[in-house]
Amino acid sequence: MKLIRRALLALSVAGAIAATLRLKGKSVVPPQQGGWRDISSSK
Amino acid sequence: MIVVAGTGLVGTHAAEQLRRRGHEVRSVSHKTVNEIDPTLVEVVLLAHGGDHARLARRFLEADCHVVSVSDETKDVLALLDLNGDALAAGRTLVLGAACSPGLSGLLVSYLSKKLDDTDEVHIAVHGTGGPECARQHHDVLSGTALGWHEDDWLRRPAGSGRELCWFPDPIGSRDCYRADLADPLLIKHAFPHLARISARTSATRRDRLTARLPMLTPPRVQGDMGALRVEVRGSRNGERAVEVAGTAHPMAQIAGSVAASVAHELRRQAHFGTPVPPGARALGDNTLPNDALLDDIMQAGVRIQSFYGVQ
Repeated sequence: MKLIRRALLALSVAGAIAATLRLKGKSVVPPQQGGWRDISSSK
Repeated sequence: MIVVAGTGLVGTHAAEQLRRRGHEVRSVSHKTVNEIDPTLVEVVLLAHGGDHARLARRFLEADCHVVSVSDETKDVLALLDLNGDALAAGRTLVLGAACSPGLSGLLVSYLSKKLDDTDEVHIAVHGTGGPECARQHHDVLSGTALGWHEDDWLRRPAGSGRELCWFPDPIGSRDCYRADLADPLLIKHAFPHLARISARTSATRRDRLTARLPMLTPPRVQGDMGALRVEVRGSRNGERAVEVAGTAHPMAQIAGSVAASVAHELRRQAHFGTPVPPGARALGDNTLPNDALLDDIMQAGVRIQSFYGVQ
């Protein structure tokens, strides 16, 4: 019983840390769909 | 005269492009390049496999501009150390003038203009030029991958960090991994303000599994189809924004065209009395004529595409 409680505590702490890191991360969602078009000049 | 050292696919393609533009070009093997009188040479293009730093020093000391296509990390570090030699000679040493690094730096410069400010660059490359390039690709999956992350170099095992990257057709989507690539070093050199830089190369399960072994199959003599994808992140009008550009061509054509355009531009600017500032420079550096180089590469037949996407 003690072992299960410890495992659950460890999982919830890991989950809380992961959620914090994920929410605090500043990465943006990259484009998910679209296509490629030619560039004719650098301007 | 422009000397092209290297008679492989990239060197041959670069020499052909330079001849088409009317330059006097001499193509030699890197084993015989020492027989050339450097006083007759204005620009030397190093397009062979192996180390470039020793030859670059010799030609800089002889007052030649040097263009190197080397993408081997240790060699690129040694070439960066030649900045003092280049400054002393009053000549320009352009490093990594191939696809990645090379065209990647030019695309970062191009895409950065579409944003108000940039802080992240993520590069992915697929394919190899000639056999030397294929051997290099085999080795990069077994070393340590460098990336720039919030003011520090991040070292991770090469072959880790799988990411599905979309390249222009006909390459499409490929699994890409961290690798011992020189791109982060040179992108950081050209764009010191960036906070995050990463570079990945496409690889199969077999590539990753056999990376630490000798190459099991000989590389293809005629080279491979290549592709490059450059993603620049930053902000526009106060909001996070992403711009992506890329290309897909035979890798030797991309690398040869970039190298030839740089050699052509160095010689042209010197003739017009507007020489590129001396020193060791990476493509994308704001002292280089990046727009003119990108236009020249496109005119040489390399199709550059930008990604339009929906977030």
